[in-house]
Amino acid sequence: MDYSAIQKLENLLLVSVPRDLVDDDVIRMRRDILQAVRKYNSQIVLLDFSQVDICDSFFGRFIYSTAQMTKLMGAKIILSGLQDAVIETMVELGMALPDVDAVLDLDSALALSRAQAVQGSLVEGAASGPPEA
Amino acid sequence: MMNQVPIREDAHAVVAAQWGRRLAVQLGFSLVEQTAISTAILEIARNIAKYAGHGQITLHTLADGACVGIEVIAADSGPGIADIALALQDGYTTGKGLGLGLPGARRLMDSFEIVSQPGAGTTITMRKWRTSTDHRDKPGGL
Repeated sequence: MDYSAIQKLENLLLVSVPRDLVDDDVIRMRRDILQAVRKYNSQIVLLDFSQVDICDSFFGRFIYSTAQMTKLMGAKIILSGLQDAVIETMVELGMALPDVDAVLDLDSALALSRAQAVQGSLVEGAASGPPEA
Repeated sequence: MMNQVPIREDAHAVVAAQWGRRLAVQLGFSLVEQTAISTAILEIARNIAKYAGHGQITLHTLADGACVGIEVIAADSGPGIADIALALQDGYTTGKGLGLGLPGARRLMDSFEIVSQPGAGTTITMRKWRTSTDHRDKPGGL
């Protein structure tokens, strides 16, 4: 069974979701993600679905529960790399995932996280800087 | 052509879905149709592993004139479904899922039939027909 790789990439935590997901993997993977979020103080967890060609409601539950858990640590889940046929099937299936954002690919994810990092430092700068006259 | 996959645990459901995709590829279903069929199989096969504990998925090839299709029969001898109409409602679940399994699988297929009685197991028969031969994925095509 291939196991997902979790890597830190700039401000992102990059999780390669394995092609096939079974019960035991999900629990282990979620725990590994939470540990890594804490370790790297990640703000964005990118779930890379580019290897996944079937996404049933079991995957949906994995995405949803992981999003809720990381949210309690201040990190946001973003999906990336969903294939067209998978997207079509997910929506037919009724998997709306209203609270979960997505980007097209890793390039878009990096652009988003860099933009957020810049915005974050601006806000921090404004808060700690001297009040404007 | 016939294939049967015994389902006793979650990992077997993944195997059944892969067999379904392979058959759909052989029969010339489009990529979206292959994905729909294998996803529907995965949904109901995971249900067998979760609720019945033991059962099997059988795949048949259908041929009706120029029409080609796949029939999936999922049979188990588990606790059965007391209220089929309720089980087919979106969002209804007795387990920990999203409650999309049965209604979702039904939407992905062309026909979907459940025979079940409490204590006597469940048999689901679902079919999907290939839309057309020129619906295959062509490189560079839309």
